[in-house]
Amino acid sequence: MGRAGRKVLIVVVVFVLAGAYLGYSGARSSMAYYLTVGELLDRSGSVRDADIRLGGKVVADGLAWDQVSGNLTFLVTDGTRTLPVRYRGVVPDAFKPGADVVVEGRYDGTAFMAQRLFAKCPSKFEAKPGR
Amino acid sequence: MGEVGTLAIGMAFVVSLYGLAAPLVGLGLRRHELVRSAVNAVYANALLLAVASTALLQALLARDFGNAYVASYSSRDLSFWYTVSAFWAGQAGSLLFWAALLAGFAAVVVWRHGHHRELMPYVVATLMATSAFFTGLLTFVSPPFARLAFAPADGSGLNPLLQNPGMFFHPPTQYLGYVGFTVPFAFAIGALATKRLDDEWIRATRRWTLASWFFLSWGIIFGMMWAYVELGWGGYWAWDPVENASLMPWLTATAFLHSVMIQEKRDMLKVWNLVLIVLTFALSIFGTFLTRSGVLSSVHSFALSSMGPLFFIFILLILGVSTILLVSRLPALRSAAELDSLISRESSFLFNNLILVGAAFSVFLGTVFPVLSEAVRGVKISVGPPFFNQVNVPIGLALLFIMGVCPLLAWRKASPRNLSRSFLLPGALGALCAVVLLALGISHPVALAAFALSVFVAAAILQDFHRGAMVRRSHGEPYALAAVRLVARNHRRYGGYVVHLGMILLFAGMAGGAFSTEREAVLTKGETVAIKQYTLRYEGASTYPTRSALVTAATLTVYNAGHQIGVMTPQRNIHKTHEDQPMTEVAIRSTWREDLYVILAGLGDDGTANVRVIINPLMMWMWVGSVVLTLGTIVAFWPERGEALRNRARYVVEGV
Repeated sequence: MGRAGRKVLIVVVVFVLAGAYLGYSGARSSMAYYLTVGELLDRSGSVRDADIRLGGKVVADGLAWDQVSGNLTFLVTDGTRTLPVRYRGVVPDAFKPGADVVVEGRYDGTAFMAQRLFAKCPSKFEAKPGR
Repeated sequence: MGEVGTLAIGMAFVVSLYGLAAPLVGLGLRRHELVRSAVNAVYANALLLAVASTALLQALLARDFGNAYVASYSSRDLSFWYTVSAFWAGQAGSLLFWAALLAGFAAVVVWRHGHHRELMPYVVATLMATSAFFTGLLTFVSPPFARLAFAPADGSGLNPLLQNPGMFFHPPTQYLGYVGFTVPFAFAIGALATKRLDDEWIRATRRWTLASWFFLSWGIIFGMMWAYVELGWGGYWAWDPVENASLMPWLTATAFLHSVMIQEKRDMLKVWNLVLIVLTFALSIFGTFLTRSGVLSSVHSFALSSMGPLFFIFILLILGVSTILLVSRLPALRSAAELDSLISRESSFLFNNLILVGAAFSVFLGTVFPVLSEAVRGVKISVGPPFFNQVNVPIGLALLFIMGVCPLLAWRKASPRNLSRSFLLPGALGALCAVVLLALGISHPVALAAFALSVFVAAAILQDFHRGAMVRRSHGEPYALAAVRLVARNHRRYGGYVVHLGMILLFAGMAGGAFSTEREAVLTKGETVAIKQYTLRYEGASTYPTRSALVTAATLTVYNAGHQIGVMTPQRNIHKTHEDQPMTEVAIRSTWREDLYVILAGLGDDGTANVRVIINPLMMWMWVGSVVLTLGTIVAFWPERGEALRNRARYVVEGV
């Protein structure tokens, strides 16, 4: 490899290291456990103050939404166990009983306090259930 | 009609297999009529898939609800254009769309590039192999013409979230991009197989690559527009796995577009170019796969239809065959030329590639992080937007810098004098911009850097235009004519510059997002909410029916520093076919300076409105930048006078 090639390699290495550092710090600040309801309840002690992304289905009962204040409480389930969720903010259109949701936030021991709420984009690639 | 469709797809599958086998067998047995018959297979495949597509379209428009797909994605009250777009609304239809596009492209390839006689057998085999995969899926796993036991009176209808013009533009352009990259990939495989490792395969597919890149860009842009207008959270990009899946091939394709120029000019980076096109194609397939597998978007790995593993195997096959071919040809791929200097146009292209591929890698890593962490630590950990932004924002700035620097550098080695001459004016203007912005009170470092660099790049580009025109003028041509002729002599270069200008506007629009502000308010009739210089007064809500929905609109009068400038009506609607799901329609007021974005988050029974108001500075610049990008691509694509003649002559002279 010529002299110029060596210099380029050095720049490349510096770049990669810089990128790795940025990635590492970015990952650290946004890493969250990605858990199902059951997994969260099983580990409830160890994940108490950690950032969590929780996924599951919205249960038909127990849904309370005050449109004016924006407060939303509902139950999320993985099929067998349920967990209450509290959220305040804009509710995505796809949110409804039976929808798949992902909430980001923390678990305080009794309920999941959600900062962000995502409802899964309506299944473009699966037929609408129950006709 | 459904039987015709099913038959056509089944036959297309068989024909594709033939198109894969015949050229390879024919070459092996030296039976050239077999090789030539494969070309007929390509045409037959295209015809069959055209028939199948027509059959599905007809079923949709004729409201044949006995067809399971039609029943799932359309309804009697769905308008004509949305019924057409229901074609690609679901799994089977979108796969058929992919296969039909590929079949059409393959037919064009054999028609227009048949003179590359050595490469053609492998090109056809590769295209038909891909076609066999998709038609195989359509035949065995996801047939679009499956019938229901009982035909319902009306279909389920298209989900209201999809009833937006975006539905008509985003999937087709996205697919045109994905499918388009099959062609340069096929030529790359042909080049490897035949050991014709010069830039023949690159020159043959240059316009395919450019067009595919263009459509992929618009697929992403339409996706952003659609998300911005429809999903109603004020943003346009969330680093969602599905979004990332479309971005990754775009990044590698952009890198490829640039690095092939090095191979053409200096005969370097041959291996790298091959690797890039293989990656781009594999990522396109990965992108197609990710949007339909759910494996990364949700917590559960849903019990996938056998489609997920099949895509995975196909990608492994692509990577495996390409790697084997590449490794076996490695000795022949060594380049004679060497890098002369750290500061040269070649090295800036190298850095451009490094930056783009680095971005693609980081996006990939962030996207598959949960899968990796589960394999390593037994628990899924995901990373969010901060990870992606922290890595990609500096990358974006570096990209801006390179965009400005590259045209200023000479090939092989840039002399310091030459450098300082070229950098002076653009550098000074960039620095001036930074000073002016600081004086105006903008101190956000990233935004400052982005705007200053944007000015730097724009100045560098315009300087290059000007210098070129001045050279022509010194030979007696008037300036305006010189500028036009300059571009006409080199569409690729100057078209590329215009694309860069478009990218600058896009970056500037994104940088504006750093200054977004948001306000939430609960308003009764007559109350106001203020954000920056705007005041919005809530006048009340009204409900009225339309053909397909029950509309509930809140009316807000907008004042700018006291003067009334308009009325905005964000809505919460209920569509007739999906009464359990509300449809928020945001109200957006765009100016050059900023977007005023209003969401009706909720409406109480007494008419109290919960509104969220967002100001997004410079949003419109993104869309304008997209248009400039389009113009640049058209210029770069447009053939130059005498180009076809020069290409033919080169081919003949090289003694085929």
